[in-house]
Amino acid sequence: MTHDDRLAWVLALPALAVIALIALFPIVWTIWESLHLHDLRMPWRGHPFVGLANYAEAATSVRFWRAMAHTVLFTAATVVLEIAAGLLLALVMDRLSRGRDVVRTAILLPWAVPTVVVALVWRFLFESPSGPVDDSLVLLGVSSPITWFADATAAWVPLVLADVWKTTPFVALLLFAGLQTIDPSLYEAARIDGASPARQLTDITLPLLRPALVVAFIFRALDAFRVFDLIYVMTGGGPGTATEPIALLTFNALLQNLRFGFGAALSVIVFAVSFVFALACIRIVGRDALAERVP
Amino acid sequence: MAVQVLLADRLWRCVTITLLAAAFTACDRESGSRVLTLAGSAVGAEADAVRRQLHRFEAAHPSVRVQLRVTPDAADQRHQLYVQWLNAQAPDPDVLQLDVVWTPEFAAAGWILDLDRFGVATDDFFPAALAANRWNGRIYALPWFVDVGMLYWRTDLVDRPPGDVDDLERLAARARDDHHIPFGLVWQGARYEGLVTVFLEYLGAFGGTMLNADGRIALDSEAAVAALQTMRDQIAVERIVPRAALTWHEEEVRFAFQNGDAVFMRNWPYAYRLLRDASQSRVAGRFAVGPMPAGPGGTAAATLGGSVLAINAHSDNAAAASRLIDYLLQPEQLLERASLVGQYPPRPTLYEQQALGEALSMDPAEVRRILEHTVARPATPVYAELSDILQIALHRALTDQQDPRTAIAGAAVSMQALLDEVGLGPRQP
Repeated sequence: MTHDDRLAWVLALPALAVIALIALFPIVWTIWESLHLHDLRMPWRGHPFVGLANYAEAATSVRFWRAMAHTVLFTAATVVLEIAAGLLLALVMDRLSRGRDVVRTAILLPWAVPTVVVALVWRFLFESPSGPVDDSLVLLGVSSPITWFADATAAWVPLVLADVWKTTPFVALLLFAGLQTIDPSLYEAARIDGASPARQLTDITLPLLRPALVVAFIFRALDAFRVFDLIYVMTGGGPGTATEPIALLTFNALLQNLRFGFGAALSVIVFAVSFVFALACIRIVGRDALAERVP
Repeated sequence: MAVQVLLADRLWRCVTITLLAAAFTACDRESGSRVLTLAGSAVGAEADAVRRQLHRFEAAHPSVRVQLRVTPDAADQRHQLYVQWLNAQAPDPDVLQLDVVWTPEFAAAGWILDLDRFGVATDDFFPAALAANRWNGRIYALPWFVDVGMLYWRTDLVDRPPGDVDDLERLAARARDDHHIPFGLVWQGARYEGLVTVFLEYLGAFGGTMLNADGRIALDSEAAVAALQTMRDQIAVERIVPRAALTWHEEEVRFAFQNGDAVFMRNWPYAYRLLRDASQSRVAGRFAVGPMPAGPGGTAAATLGGSVLAINAHSDNAAAASRLIDYLLQPEQLLERASLVGQYPPRPTLYEQQALGEALSMDPAEVRRILEHTVARPATPVYAELSDILQIALHRALTDQQDPRTAIAGAAVSMQALLDEVGLGPRQP
């Protein structure tokens, strides 16, 4: 090791220590905890090592698999809608010659509102029997509007809409930044060659936007997979457990039922799935997209 | 890991102790007194009542100062906060206001002190209210006030209280149609503890119970299916209960009744005082209360709720804390709470006094009649999870995701499995 190397390590040490303390330590501790029976309600059962029993319990629980399915469904629905809407907004912003700053700021506003506030507002909008949405439906001639939060299917509508409303600006801004990096001369050349705007979009914009799209996709998918606050406030996972995501089930096991061992196992599962998903995304889509990138 | 936990634990305790020591030294220098903290709810009139009583306690005990620590009003949020404090073995708050169903859980976890060691008097409490605070034969908390589910009805829309569940449905439907009132009956139908308390009243009305005499789950019964089927039909078939009630808690239900939108309401005693206030209530002077009706094969039932007072097991001031609890539970303080907040005292002898009738603006005999049929919830450290299983099953049936029979049968199996796992059957209070 050269002197410089040594110095580099010494200088990096505080940062590494902080990472170890705030990232590695809790992860290792949680994994350890997940291999034990630890139930605060029954201290007489002690804190014995139970191997993978907590994981086995999760794997055989219908509620767990349903929560997983809800999470995947929510992630798929919101990410697709957010990327589609975000792309549209980004293209509009890119085309604007005047007032771009004003529009950009206006678009960013929903992103700046705290999630809990967003959740409360959207819950209010879809409230029954006289929330603004139901009132509007009555004005449009619907005689008995849906009781949104008491219907296992309909309850997803406000949840997905609220998340899309809040997070589309983030995607739009990411994609807008991506659009800025595309060399305008490419479009000029395309125009001279007589390519239609649609052809320009599919052959220039989308391929060159791919790295930004991949980043937006990974960020959003990982975020949506951990969804908690929005659903906690809007439906609490109900009706029944029809909208319960995995993070809410974990919260319930940990803080309502005080089952720390089982709750830790659920946390580890969420962590592992997100981790593997992120790695897979980066390896499959990411590397390839980054390699193709035109300077 | 044990070492790490131990270290983390010690570190945390050191920090807490140091900070507290600093705080106490500061206090001691100023006033030379001990500081007790009381954690509980303090909204509106309740805050007023508690503060007055704490001031009087301080006046009577010059060496003790009491701080009121306001905690969230929503039960699950307060529960979560308490769990964080107590699990970290923080020495404050010293006195905790608990929901009655938490006592066995906190006692089993070793978070609250058994009160027998202070020689507390337990003779003048409603037996059911006291029994809910017993764990392994010892008393861990004392009732502060009792809550019971009861039926509010509009005296201007119906001329008599209902005789039974069928009668209630008939009266509700007729009054709703004749007077163009949107809802016949409103109750707490959101997926939370309140739904379980409503269900227990219907269950009692149909002659069922949650536990049998041996402490085993007795929900897999025709009575339970009939009770749940009745609740579901009130929404889906008779349409006297709005579907929106499946998202309602106490306050949404009260607002519906208070705005004159419902003929009958199931709610707790707290609503009585608010509904009588003509400045916010459209039904002031036009309603009365009584027990929930009985059904075929059962009796009128009122789920027992309420708050209890307990002492933090790591409190440095346990003796002073027990004196504070004793003071707050004296008849004078309980009558003051009854008059300022409308809460029902847990001491039966008070119901023989005219003073209580004046404090509550109600005939104490009427209150006694409702309190006669109280149904307690199982006293077990896993109550929260038992309730969670039942809430989900009930809500699934009420939102037409499952039929009542399947939902009840599934819940009964899971609940019994949980009790078996605990290894200690709960005692039926």
